Amino acid sequence: MIAQEAQYRDWMLAALMGDAGAYRMLLSGLTRHLRSYFARRLDSGAAEDAVQETLIAIHARRATYDPSLPFTAWVYGIARYKLIDEFRRAKRRPTVPLEDAGELFGHDEAQEAIARRDVTKLLDKLSPAKRALVKDIKLDGVSVAEAAQRTGLSESAVKVTVHRAIKSLGEDLKEEDLKGRGGDADR
Amino acid sequence: MRTDDLIAQLSDGLEPVKSGAVARLLLGAIMLGILGSIALMLAVLGLRYDFTTAITSFGMWTKLVYAFAIAAFGFWLVERAGRPGAEMTRPLLLLALPLLAIALLSVLQMSSASQADMPGLVLGHSSRVCAPLVFLTAIPTLIATLWALKRLAPTRLTTAGAIAGLFAGGAGAFVYSFHCTEGAAPFIAIWYTLGIVVTTAAGALLGPRMLRW
Repeated sequence: MIAQEAQYRDWMLAALMGDAGAYRMLLSGLTRHLRSYFARRLDSGAAEDAVQETLIAIHARRATYDPSLPFTAWVYGIARYKLIDEFRRAKRRPTVPLEDAGELFGHDEAQEAIARRDVTKLLDKLSPAKRALVKDIKLDGVSVAEAAQRTGLSESAVKVTVHRAIKSLGEDLKEEDLKGRGGDADR
Repeated sequence: MRTDDLIAQLSDGLEPVKSGAVARLLLGAIMLGILGSIALMLAVLGLRYDFTTAITSFGMWTKLVYAFAIAAFGFWLVERAGRPGAEMTRPLLLLALPLLAIALLSVLQMSSASQADMPGLVLGHSSRVCAPLVFLTAIPTLIATLWALKRLAPTRLTTAGAIAGLFAGGAGAFVYSFHCTEGAAPFIAIWYTLGIVVTTAAGALLGPRMLRW
């Protein structure tokens, strides 16, 4: 069972009775999941369009929600349909694996923003040259050969640098983790 | 438009949804479709000439019960197909019941028949036209079902179209029963079922074109 199911279902049932406040909270809550869902699958302009299309579809077809069925599965069905629609419009092959609603509700944009911020903060601890290399290779998917050409280093030097940088970041994280726990104990 | 503004707009004018809205839409459309199928059958094919005596015959009831059962499970599936995230396994499994029943009855009738009667049981006198005419009779119901389904929220269009075809095929076979004078279970098991399968396939082809919303 998806964690948000009970809350969202309650809001939906209230909204079906005409409760605008519950409906607004429901749509705002869903938007966070939808943004993250579409952002991982479409480019940014199309993603926000798809979010809005999905919200409109949820609104227009809200009578098709059967209260005896899971609400999150209903929303996921609509989001997936809108994703396929978007692919079709972009002339991409419209095949989307049939996953379950966890795919939609397991993520939201706030968590992802935190994760992104954490990575950026962590990378700031590296020297600028090292940071650029790690970012290129580990985050942006640049090949080692390409990075070597760009920096003028040999391929093996690039590999070693990135490896050491990641290792030192790992140690930093471990230290922070220990410090964090120590802090909790003091309180 | 900003998404926040959209949310405000959608929730501001929120109207309550009447319960049973989906069922009313589906039932209304399907009634009209079936009326269309009946009118088509009466106008083009005509009621069977021996209707008043045949209505009490075992063969007539074999057809009616078989076609009704398929249409009933088909209707259940149509309702599911219009609701995102709804499971369809149970009605699909139950669909095996009428198929098994007609197969069993066919075997019973064939095993007690003489060699000479076999071709009659299987081919009757209308095996060539049966499936096409079931399909023809089903067309108004198929169109009405697709029309209604498009107004719900089908998310897998080929499957939803096939399900609309299955239901319309069952309903078409039911209506066609009033014209057709066959009554042997093997005939029904083969040719009526074929007509339903053809309608299902037509629905599957039409689904992606007619059901987009």
